[in-house]
Amino acid sequence: MTDLSTRPPQAPPAQPARVRGRRWRRPNVQGVINVITVLVLMYFVIGPILMLLLASFQDTSAGVTVRPPFPWSLTNFTGVLGDARTYQVLGTTLLFAAACLFFSFVVSLVFAWLIERTDLPARGLIYVLVIAPTGMPGIISAIAWGLLLNPTNGYLNVALRSAFGLQGHGPLNAYSLPAMILVQGLALVPLTFLLITASLRNMSASLEDAARTSGAAPWTILRKVSLPLLRPVLIGAGIYQFVTVIEAVDIPLVLGLPGKVTVFSTEVYRVTHPAFGLPDYGASSTYGILLLALAVAPLLIYNRTVRNAQDYATVTGKAFRPRRQRLGRWRWVAFGASLLYAAVSFILPLLVLLYASLQPYLGPISWASLRQLTLAGYHKTISSGLFGSSLEHTLIIGLAASLAAMVLSVSLSWIIVRSKSRFAWMADTLAFIPHAIPGVVIALAVMLIYLMLPVPLYGTVWIIVVAMATQYISLATRLTTGGIAQIQQGLEEAARASGARPSQVWRHVLLPLLRPVLLNGFLLVFLASIKNLTLPLMLQSSDNVVISTLIWNRWDYGDVTGAAVLSVLLTAVTVTAALLLRRLSGSEEI
Amino acid sequence: MSAIKINRLCHTYATKNKTVTAVDDVTLDIGDNEFFTLLGPSGCGKTTTLRCIAGLEQPTSGSIELGGVVVVSDRVVVPTHRRDIGMVFQDYAVWPHMSVFDNVAFPLRIGRKLRRAEIAERVEQALELVNMSQYIDRRATQLSGGQQQRLSLARALVRQPKVLLLDEPLSNLDAKLREQMRSELRLIQQRIGITAVFVTHDQVEALSLSTRIAVMSSGRVVQEGTPREIYLEPNSEFVANFVGATSFVAGRVLISSPVTLTVQTELGTLNCRPHPDVPTGASAIVALRPESLVVTDSPTQSDNCFAGEVELSLFVGDGVDYRIKVGDQSLRARGSARAQFDAGDTVYVNAATDDCVVLLADPDGAKAVMDATDVESDR
Repeated sequence: MTDLSTRPPQAPPAQPARVRGRRWRRPNVQGVINVITVLVLMYFVIGPILMLLLASFQDTSAGVTVRPPFPWSLTNFTGVLGDARTYQVLGTTLLFAAACLFFSFVVSLVFAWLIERTDLPARGLIYVLVIAPTGMPGIISAIAWGLLLNPTNGYLNVALRSAFGLQGHGPLNAYSLPAMILVQGLALVPLTFLLITASLRNMSASLEDAARTSGAAPWTILRKVSLPLLRPVLIGAGIYQFVTVIEAVDIPLVLGLPGKVTVFSTEVYRVTHPAFGLPDYGASSTYGILLLALAVAPLLIYNRTVRNAQDYATVTGKAFRPRRQRLGRWRWVAFGASLLYAAVSFILPLLVLLYASLQPYLGPISWASLRQLTLAGYHKTISSGLFGSSLEHTLIIGLAASLAAMVLSVSLSWIIVRSKSRFAWMADTLAFIPHAIPGVVIALAVMLIYLMLPVPLYGTVWIIVVAMATQYISLATRLTTGGIAQIQQGLEEAARASGARPSQVWRHVLLPLLRPVLLNGFLLVFLASIKNLTLPLMLQSSDNVVISTLIWNRWDYGDVTGAAVLSVLLTAVTVTAALLLRRLSGSEEI
Repeated sequence: MSAIKINRLCHTYATKNKTVTAVDDVTLDIGDNEFFTLLGPSGCGKTTTLRCIAGLEQPTSGSIELGGVVVVSDRVVVPTHRRDIGMVFQDYAVWPHMSVFDNVAFPLRIGRKLRRAEIAERVEQALELVNMSQYIDRRATQLSGGQQQRLSLARALVRQPKVLLLDEPLSNLDAKLREQMRSELRLIQQRIGITAVFVTHDQVEALSLSTRIAVMSSGRVVQEGTPREIYLEPNSEFVANFVGATSFVAGRVLISSPVTLTVQTELGTLNCRPHPDVPTGASAIVALRPESLVVTDSPTQSDNCFAGEVELSLFVGDGVDYRIKVGDQSLRARGSARAQFDAGDTVYVNAATDDCVVLLADPDGAKAVMDATDVESDR
């Protein structure tokens, strides 16, 4: 007790005058970081949009220019808006999106209800099976379904033809809008299901119990209480998934192009990468702006809904156990149907890819073909130099993009949550915008920027890194904002009151406490990056091929075995990563 | 010498619709080794004032000196980590990713370089001071609320700061623990001789711990004084009502002289404690503490004795709480637990002259009292 109880006289305080002078001139470190973050973000986010506008309002027949004199012109808009094809593409896109969303939401709602509110057997297993396809990149499920359903020798078609004695092509066609809807719809289910089921789990069962004690039958409760309470989640998820559908090129490219079914994303790709002739950047920018408008409109509606979100406050802190609906004899029917769904959505495509990867060439499944299974495809693919370099590129892009996205989003979230800075609203908006920009549009804009600017990024892996980081900032920021908001402000203030400089507060308190969130976000962005086909394909050159673009190139070239081999390898990696991610983010009980 | 000098401190912030003044022209002078309490209902600006001292908030204007060094003024802003303070937070703010030892050692480790042995020694001393030595190797998350608060106190003291800032440190503890921590806090503060600034909305804490109290309302200091002055001589309805339960009786001053003060009220004529600022003929309010009223079953010879009827009689263990109707006026009184009167009984209420405190009727008073009552019902 000696030291504390008999304190020596205090050391003389620092000279006030000196403190005053130094304090005032020294720049505030945190303030500098805030400004830099916002500026970097503006460059990442506003830059592409400006570039699109610039290019779309120019006469680009002689190329795009970023220096005056600008050849201002409305040719692109008159050309695109005056073309009947534009409206046809718009119609197809909307129909495609609406049908995918409907399909995936019905499936997800049914599974969410079965798992959270009924006595379905083996709910844990069904849960894992429903979300397992998260790991599967869109391009790969598209290829798998192409193998199953292509009209000439799709495995399923051949089987159906022999079973029913049919002749010719078909009866099913992978290269059609319904097939695209099926594949894209299935691809949307895992995330949709996760969003719905999380919110159903958090919904207080007492709300449903109150309806039950008021004399409502189960079906009425679902219709009058549960679904209306889920409305904000359903709308939010719907809008998010809408952007997912219209932004991606993978499934429309593999399944749509052969059958001449074009949506906006593939139209942008087609105009930017014409089979012959020069790309028309003016027209593609105009398409990009239309696509952007299409994505932003529902978001504006959503924000209006969210404003009344407290009307739907259903999350209670107390523990509760929802009553489970007894399914009776439907119990095992539902279980069987769930297993069948899992088989069709995940296991069948995987098996088909595995089979195709072990075949020397594409042929019908028969005893003969089963006997000629070979690993030759794997040898050939793995030993090629292109595989090595594309694997390297994939890893570089994944690591660099997730690192950049996390660094930016952490400092962005701190500004949003903690600083009382006048930049806070700006940071919030900037972090939100990339969420609304379809990937294909980000890619186009980033490409234009580095075509114009004298920065040697075009054609390298780094241009893809820039585009990926831009695209995934919203996702990462959502995680980190939640993470920082969960850290009591007092923990930071206690460190400051203990004499810690801002950098020490970060190093000793904030970063250690954020570690799980950061790791989770890093893996999430990494996984999304290596699955992504849209950005690398739009930005591809001979020097920045990644695994996903390599798969597309092999498939486009007709090397089915090569594409299947690569697909199996990539799926193995991504599914493992996805499972790892689920285990790490244990807080979600997933 | 004063440890803390606050001069004309103002703190305003803008919300969507309007500008809110959290601290409005507060001037305080806190001496060395004082235990100074900022007391008031939530939203009165007491916590903001404390956070301005800590540097966690920047005042809009005004200045603060800590130990003679200006830490905030128009021209100087010393950031929190350069101020010689220790702070205890309402929610403990114990870092969950560190052990008890690491939590307490943190202020030593990040500051000037100390030898490991010295750090260990000082951490042990600090933990011993708060009776937490046996938990030194625990993870911070394994501690109970009371232990976390002790840990938080040890962490605030380990740097041996000049000023200890306490932001409602006891309010998250349960009643028993709060009482125990209260006495310990005072003992520790006296033993190590440190200037403490304590923020609370609890009048018992404020009265029992403090050397001086500043009662705050709507960003302003309403009354500043020793606990005795605050309790026995409140200068306004707000203070009288916020610090302890009080019955108010409105009236008109009949005679005001240095030796006597008589007020005509609904109860009758009340002989009150003389008050130099009250002129004859003014309207006034008389504050009566329940525990200063003596309830009897027959009239007494004292100056202020009024007959009334018991409306409500609640046995609360160490006494009986009465509501007694005298005329149209309801008075709260505290009686002995031995003899209890029942509702409907006719009783006599006696008030000693010195216990009848005259307050000048202020127009804001009524509103302030209402605000204070709101807060009490919040708790």
